Amino acid sequence: MLTLQSIILTQFRNYVTKQFSFTEKIVGIYGSNGTGKTNLLDAIYYLSFTKSYFARTDAQNVHHGLSGLRIEGHYEIMNEEADLICILRENNKKEFNINGEAYKKFSEHIGNYPCVMIAPDDVALISGNSEERRKFIDTILSQIDTKYLRTLIDYTKLLQQRNSFLKQATEQGFCDDTLLNILSEQLSEKGDFIFNERKKFIQHFIPLTIQYYQTISGNQDHITVHYESQLQQSEMKQLLAQSKHKDLQVQRTNVGIHKDDLLFQLNNAVFKNEASQGQRKSLLFALKMAEWRTLKKNKGFAPILLLDDVFEKLDEKRMFNLLHWVCKEDDAQVFITDTHQKRLADTLQTIGVKHQLIHLEDK
Amino acid sequence: MQLPSTLLENAVAQFSKLPGIGKKTALRLVLHLLKQDVNEVKFFGETISKMRSEIKFCNRCHNISDGDICSTCSNSMRNQNLICVVENIRDVIAIENTQQFNGTYHVLGGIISPLDGIGPDQLNIETLIQRIQKEETQEIIFALNPNIQGDTTIYYIQKKIAPFHCKVTTIARGIAFGGELEYADEMTLARSLTNRLPVQQYVQ
Repeated sequence: MLTLQSIILTQFRNYVTKQFSFTEKIVGIYGSNGTGKTNLLDAIYYLSFTKSYFARTDAQNVHHGLSGLRIEGHYEIMNEEADLICILRENNKKEFNINGEAYKKFSEHIGNYPCVMIAPDDVALISGNSEERRKFIDTILSQIDTKYLRTLIDYTKLLQQRNSFLKQATEQGFCDDTLLNILSEQLSEKGDFIFNERKKFIQHFIPLTIQYYQTISGNQDHITVHYESQLQQSEMKQLLAQSKHKDLQVQRTNVGIHKDDLLFQLNNAVFKNEASQGQRKSLLFALKMAEWRTLKKNKGFAPILLLDDVFEKLDEKRMFNLLHWVCKEDDAQVFITDTHQKRLADTLQTIGVKHQLIHLEDK
Repeated sequence: MQLPSTLLENAVAQFSKLPGIGKKTALRLVLHLLKQDVNEVKFFGETISKMRSEIKFCNRCHNISDGDICSTCSNSMRNQNLICVVENIRDVIAIENTQQFNGTYHVLGGIISPLDGIGPDQLNIETLIQRIQKEETQEIIFALNPNIQGDTTIYYIQKKIAPFHCKVTTIARGIAFGGELEYADEMTLARSLTNRLPVQQYVQ
């Protein structure tokens, strides 16, 4: 069990100082535009990942005209209390403390207090390029398996080495085959490992995603997800050997797990060409919920779920399906934002769960 | 920094080129020298320039040396058929300080990293290969840093010397002396378990 009981924000975004206490597992937050609903969710995300969900620099997270910020969260995790404090000093040095002790490496913290943010604007996951989808998979796998993260870092380094080698070989008009083979072998070893881990992971992940999609959309669309990787055909070592000539010509590595992708299809056509806005949102939610579910299974408790402005993006029926499922059938702590008090209150009322409403007022 | 003399300024600029020396420290050192006797400072300067111009690198192992061949390579008490391959001269000094190694060295002068523009040609690898072939070396020990580039370098040399009958080994990786198990990182600990030692060997 993971619950955030209270949070104190100091000079974070539009908050100068503000304390929130969360008494129920379902927290609805309403207020007009610009009152800081998303910022509150982002602060919670910040405590889990030591950085903002939105690609902002730390300086941009500080209240306008002030310097330094502090976020303090009081958690209950597996029946024990924990205090997380993040401080950004005036000189832009960041500190992260757990129960009074500072982390040496922030990476040690990630995954310990898991949370999943669903902000409808990140449909880039579906319509953007393949990098977004690899990052999505890597983020999940890195949180549950440190060896995966380490291998991925090694792979990236080796890929850079191999690419610079290819570049130099072309410039000098001479290719040291022994060295190229060694770099390829080292790269293949890491690549095969990552491929196998991704493959194993996706086997469980795809059915989950489809199941969630059907729950949210009400089971009308025929949707499929495929893991696309050149390594499906043969081992990376062979692929590299075949691609050697081309690699030297274009001066970079053309095959490997850095080309992997997830292919979404709707009624046998490419999803992003075929799907409506609502269907895209449904798939996005399904992917995020599958992420949440996977983390829950691996961590042994439910990650905190942050739903930002979801009412705007899904129709009432889809929204209800999603919320009903999240609030009733699972014991996760959920934060939901909306601009309309009535809509939020009514929905939570209809679902029939105990909830708390927080009103954010104009400054 | 405003200084009253260009001579002083030049000296400070030279000192601050050294690693770990900033402008302020450089000034402190220069002012210290200024307080010294003229002859003493002259001797100081000469020692340094003499060090740079007269020092030699061993033709055989590329270690620093006063002559063409270094004292390790010319020492008949040391096992000349055993080569320890290291990245730089600092590593030679570190290994010598253990007083556990009785063979010779080969200083590569770096490790293979195309990203930093360092290929096998920039390193003393060719001379190592020739040396192993010519001297019929029995064993080479790789004492390189345990990272990807270190591995690349080891694999590369290993491939190149494959035709010769030379045993190839690498230094062990594992738990540090005086280290607490709970603080060891998982990868080191896992490796130490896989490559565990019989207790008889461990005690020695």
